[in-house]
Amino acid sequence: MTQQELADQIGVTRQTVNAIEGCKYSPSLEVAFRIAQVFDKPLEDVFQYGAQPE
Amino acid sequence: MHASFEEKSVWIQLVSTVAVLGAYFVVAALMLSKGVTTVIAFVPLFIVPVALLVVVLTVGHVVVAITARPDGRDERDRIIEWRAESNSSWILGVGVLAALTGLVVSLDNVWIAHMLLLSMLLSEVARFIFQLVYYRRGMEK
Repeated sequence: MTQQELADQIGVTRQTVNAIEGCKYSPSLEVAFRIAQVFDKPLEDVFQYGAQPE
Repeated sequence: MHASFEEKSVWIQLVSTVAVLGAYFVVAALMLSKGVTTVIAFVPLFIVPVALLVVVLTVGHVVVAITARPDGRDERDRIIEWRAESNSSWILGVGVLAALTGLVVSLDNVWIAHMLLLSMLLSEVARFIFQLVYYRRGMEK
């Protein structure tokens, strides 16, 4: 899945998805839940506190 | 990372505000140094940059919108704007306090008007810079 496809599904810009991936922005709970829903994973599988960019 | 439409918009606002209102302040400073102290003398000088700023901002945004599809504002854009404004609004506050002090000590109106204008300009420029820093470096630290 591309950043643009994910961005379109969760209702943010591609740059915001990029910033979340790079740990430059912590999304709101609403966006975090939407991302988890898209990947059909629990929230804690997608986001970890203090995570570093891979 | 390519800049979003919102980030490009901030760049346009920063460059055009600094260029146009900066030029106004250079000319205004020259007039003040030559002893022009009536507010009315500065009105035509102020109308031109304001009109020019509107034109430059409109053209700049149209050009950016043509070259790249505007992707709308999302929560990150709004948070960046709020945080940048929160970090820069004190400059306008200082300008207003300085202008009020100027009123108390009976400073010429032209100086008070320019103190307010300058603080507004500096506050806006600081807000744009903070926004760009947050867009580039993130808000995590």
